[in-house]
Amino acid sequence: MATISTHLRNFKEPTREQLTQLFFALPPDVPAGEHARGAGEQEKAKAGEQVERMEINAVLSLGVQGIEDSYAGKLHLLPPYLAFASLDRKSVRFTIPLCTIRRVERLNARAGIYALSLSLWHGMKIVVQLTSLRPTADLFCSLLRDALKAELQRGQMKVVKGFVKTCYSEVLVAESDEKDGAKPPEAPASEQESMYLGGLGLKFKFPGDPKKLREASKTKLWTTYLKMHGRNLTLLRYPQCTRLVQVGLPNRLRGEMWETLSGSLYLRFAYPGRYERILEENAGRTSTSTEEIEKDLHRSLPEYSAYQSEQGIGSLRRVLQAYSFKNPETGYCQAMNILAAAILIYMSEEQAFWLLEVICDRLLPGYYSPSMHGTLLDQRVFESLVQRCLPIIHDHFQQVDVQLSVASLPWFLSLFINSMPMVFAFRIIDCFFCMGPKVLFQVGLAILKINGEQLLQIQDDGGFLNLMRDYFTRLGESAHPNSTDPRARAITRFQELLLVSFREFAVITDDTILSERRKYRSEIVHSIETFSKRSSVRNLKSLGRFTKEQAGFIYDALFKAVCVEPPPAVSLPPPSLLTTKDGQEERPETRIGLRTFRVFLSEIATWARDEKIVSNGFQQRVDREVADHEMIDRLFFFWDTSIRGTLSFQDLVSGLDGVMFNDLMENIEWFFNLHDKNKDGYLTKDEVLTLSESLLFIFRFEVGDAYLGAVSRFMSNAFEYGDALLPRPEGANPEDPPPHIESNQPYMNLATFRMVVLADEILESFFETDFSSTFRLEPVPLMDLPSSNNGILGGLWQNIATDDNRKLLYKVSDEIGRTIGKHQVYHRPAIGKYTALEEPKARESLIMPTMRRSASKTSLTATDSSASLSSATLATSAPSTLSVEKQASTDVSSVEYSPMPTMFQAAAQAAAYMERTPFAIDDAKDIEDSEEEDLDVEDDGVMDEVDAFLEAHDSGLTEAEREIAKALINAEPVNG
Amino acid sequence: MTDAASGAAERSVQVKLVLLGEAAVGKSSVVLRFVSDEFQANKEPTIGAAFLTQKCRLEDRVLRYEIWDTAGQERFHSLAPMYYRNAQAAVVVYDVTKATSLEKAKTWVKELQRQANPNIVIALVGNKVDLVQPSQPSSDSVAVDAEDEADDATATPGENAGSTSGEAESLRQVPREEAEAYAQEAGLLFFETSAKTGEGIVEVFTEIAKKIPIDQILASTRGNAGRGGAAGGRAGAGQEGGVNLQENTNKARDACSC
Repeated sequence: MATISTHLRNFKEPTREQLTQLFFALPPDVPAGEHARGAGEQEKAKAGEQVERMEINAVLSLGVQGIEDSYAGKLHLLPPYLAFASLDRKSVRFTIPLCTIRRVERLNARAGIYALSLSLWHGMKIVVQLTSLRPTADLFCSLLRDALKAELQRGQMKVVKGFVKTCYSEVLVAESDEKDGAKPPEAPASEQESMYLGGLGLKFKFPGDPKKLREASKTKLWTTYLKMHGRNLTLLRYPQCTRLVQVGLPNRLRGEMWETLSGSLYLRFAYPGRYERILEENAGRTSTSTEEIEKDLHRSLPEYSAYQSEQGIGSLRRVLQAYSFKNPETGYCQAMNILAAAILIYMSEEQAFWLLEVICDRLLPGYYSPSMHGTLLDQRVFESLVQRCLPIIHDHFQQVDVQLSVASLPWFLSLFINSMPMVFAFRIIDCFFCMGPKVLFQVGLAILKINGEQLLQIQDDGGFLNLMRDYFTRLGESAHPNSTDPRARAITRFQELLLVSFREFAVITDDTILSERRKYRSEIVHSIETFSKRSSVRNLKSLGRFTKEQAGFIYDALFKAVCVEPPPAVSLPPPSLLTTKDGQEERPETRIGLRTFRVFLSEIATWARDEKIVSNGFQQRVDREVADHEMIDRLFFFWDTSIRGTLSFQDLVSGLDGVMFNDLMENIEWFFNLHDKNKDGYLTKDEVLTLSESLLFIFRFEVGDAYLGAVSRFMSNAFEYGDALLPRPEGANPEDPPPHIESNQPYMNLATFRMVVLADEILESFFETDFSSTFRLEPVPLMDLPSSNNGILGGLWQNIATDDNRKLLYKVSDEIGRTIGKHQVYHRPAIGKYTALEEPKARESLIMPTMRRSASKTSLTATDSSASLSSATLATSAPSTLSVEKQASTDVSSVEYSPMPTMFQAAAQAAAYMERTPFAIDDAKDIEDSEEEDLDVEDDGVMDEVDAFLEAHDSGLTEAEREIAKALINAEPVNG
Repeated sequence: MTDAASGAAERSVQVKLVLLGEAAVGKSSVVLRFVSDEFQANKEPTIGAAFLTQKCRLEDRVLRYEIWDTAGQERFHSLAPMYYRNAQAAVVVYDVTKATSLEKAKTWVKELQRQANPNIVIALVGNKVDLVQPSQPSSDSVAVDAEDEADDATATPGENAGSTSGEAESLRQVPREEAEAYAQEAGLLFFETSAKTGEGIVEVFTEIAKKIPIDQILASTRGNAGRGGAAGGRAGAGQEGGVNLQENTNKARDACSC
């Protein structure tokens, strides 16, 4: 189960604009690319983008004769929608598509009043008074005009009539008009009836007794409301609307009202035919989700007759599959089947599909995602609300160690559908779509409050669950069976529940939920990440020689790499591969590609990163970049033992295990194998050169020339021994030149390679200890979690402290540092053995003679080698006295440098050093040739070779180095 | 201590047991067979976890199993600790016809051994053996019944069809020996069962009951009414005086809810 998900970290608090959009339940802005399907949709998207948004203060007047009621609020132009919300954001609101507006008139009212009358397609008028200043109002009107024109051009105006025919509310209104004889319906009722969309309930009956539910009177009330205040696309929500919802929606209207109240209607309106298209395009496709869906189809509200028929099962299958195809990351989560089955009773497949989308995406974000972080977060929020509102119950639960979630998790996850009898659950769902997710919290709190006394008696989880189960089965009973007042006796426990929910817990608002979610988000993210880390480490087939903690560090590095460089999305293997797997489907597993691997390795191996130590007078920091070299790519494929082009967590652990615990011989062999591409036990000449390049890559930032020398010696020795050990034809003169071997033919075996390595002390010590020590398992400084700060300042800081801004800050301080001459950069070496002054003797004996000799040979290289030598004294915090001494003892020619602050000098030299062109081998031939000439000169010859090389590449840079050094002499020392 | 134990022999001992395993291996069916000796063709999938209880007589003692039947879908995995914390027993179920389900079972075992109550009794159960056995002539009528009932609602369609004796063994993907060897190595109880025929189900719970350190539970029950050792310290700490009262309520509750 080594799936690593980083999406929790990508969470961003919605912007104000997004919040507005969410509030008005508008379809989310679709990124241009995703739109694609069908040219029509694309054009629409473009048209929508062209028009500006605006909001304006306004007063909405109830345009009904006899009733004078007006609400102050804000009118939002959000093309292609017009939306209004009263100041309290709940009394009155509407979201109507612009294309339902047929006429806009400026009302000829008293002076100083700027009022508009909007006539909708069905004749209803909305009167709004724009209370902002005149120019603002004028601007708003002109934008509104533009937006309306754009809608007209898109031909949306004509779409409305066809669309509303799918809505049952139109039938209700038409029937009622007919009865009143107000106006003849445009089409015979029977024809319209066949048009509207409905759920399985139309055929299989709706749950509950229609008489008991008082369907007829509810329908009548709604008909009146819908006639007066609009319906479906044009519904105006007044307080009466919420009250009507709270007494329960009539069955036939329920599906449509859910759509309207939740806003999924706008999605269905915006993407006609999308549902069918998704099904068509994915016909016959199978995935983990479709398999899981199949398993649950017969287990979704099985007691409802439709789900004992193929018709019901088919609908359910299509809706769930379509959702999983559209949202592959979420796919399918158990509990969604119950939701889908429930809403399909009241609405058609297409309606249910969009409603499911709204539920999973907006109303219950993250509830059904693979990590279920939304569920866990809201459980945490619920717990904190219980602690705040019902402290006695909370304390008791703490005391007897009962977890709230054992009962409340299914409440939230399946909207009470499988907790309480369906008729009651649907009434809670009515409120949920009308008033938002806070309803779940309010009802949850009310349940606990009503059962408070018994809850204080429970001693364990089981008791808690039994109590809840018992309570839910008795929701239909009278809440006050012993009351003398018949009206009180008539109140059911369910009514009592709603009453307590919305009266006593009205304090729980959308904002409460939002801010509580903000508060606990990082805690939840952290615990999910810790959990998946623990289980990933636990589920490793082999830990190798690592401890669990070390494996944890590897995981952290991998996690960070995945954050920085997300691996490509897992694509489904072609069906043919699946069938050959013989049912042994593989678990989803995060596998990383080469790019992510580079980041990963840079976290662990010091040579796989370029670290610049930058000081600019204000700060000293380490800029880390991911290195890019053929050796890293080689390692990637070396560890990809199953040859899949990707690596899993296990591959990485095994790979590291193969290199981090090696002794001298094992390391030499490992390095040999890494470069023996065809694994025939021989390196070719080319491979020997690549190997040298790998070594040079690892040594690239080492201070001093010791390593360069070692590599150079390595090469000359390699070719010397290699040639000497080549099999000769029988009787050949050993003095003869060795037989010619093509550069891609087997050339050197492990034994020879080992010999060559051991011939050099530096390489020996490199393979013995240094190489293993370049792999460092340390706690990875994790990136900032989504901030848990609330309040404006927290958010503000979060906005400021982004990576980009940090980079900008660095850049600015670097600039300043440069102008005042305090900017210095040098590379941190991968091994860094010779940066400290631990073993001057060893170095002396190893390098000094050759250095001295070579220095004496060419005066030009003298300064250079001495500079590099003294830069060998550089450590990030080299004690100044020591390095001065060092300089004196090595008798450096550049005496003029010694008075200057040591750190600067060292840094300057290091800087110069690092700017040298990397030592690279361009032409193997040259070296081979020169090697032959210098065969018996041994070390000296090699050093000459290196010196010559350095001379050729460095002569120009010595000047630059001097320049820098000179500039630095006059600079002020850094304090701290 | 002895007083408490003998006194408690009268009342039931609560044992918290959790069922874990990959989706569709038949966890719920195992529980259903044990608790009510029946099948329910289309049982709703478990959201979070289902909670059931069953009494079980063992010699002179009565055990009251509190069974937490957890959701099998992978994404519910992170919720599992909520259910297995304080559990005294765990039944990890796999499907003998599906090799991957044993792998999943192993990860559950690992997790339990690391994260759960250290004294937890774990049983490894290979379910759906009826699919890999030649149909027994004596149970013909049962087999017919089982056909409509299906082993459980989650059985893959192909598997039920092919259970004739010839193909039966070929359906098996997990050899009994392999699983048994693993169970032994990991220190688990091991069973092969069929929730469909009822084979082996009761044994699972009986053997677990035998292995559970009942006296220990009783001892810890005194202090904090049935919680496992882990919770004991917390709840027991500050309320020495409340012991009697709690024991009373405990008895009362047992009387009404069983």
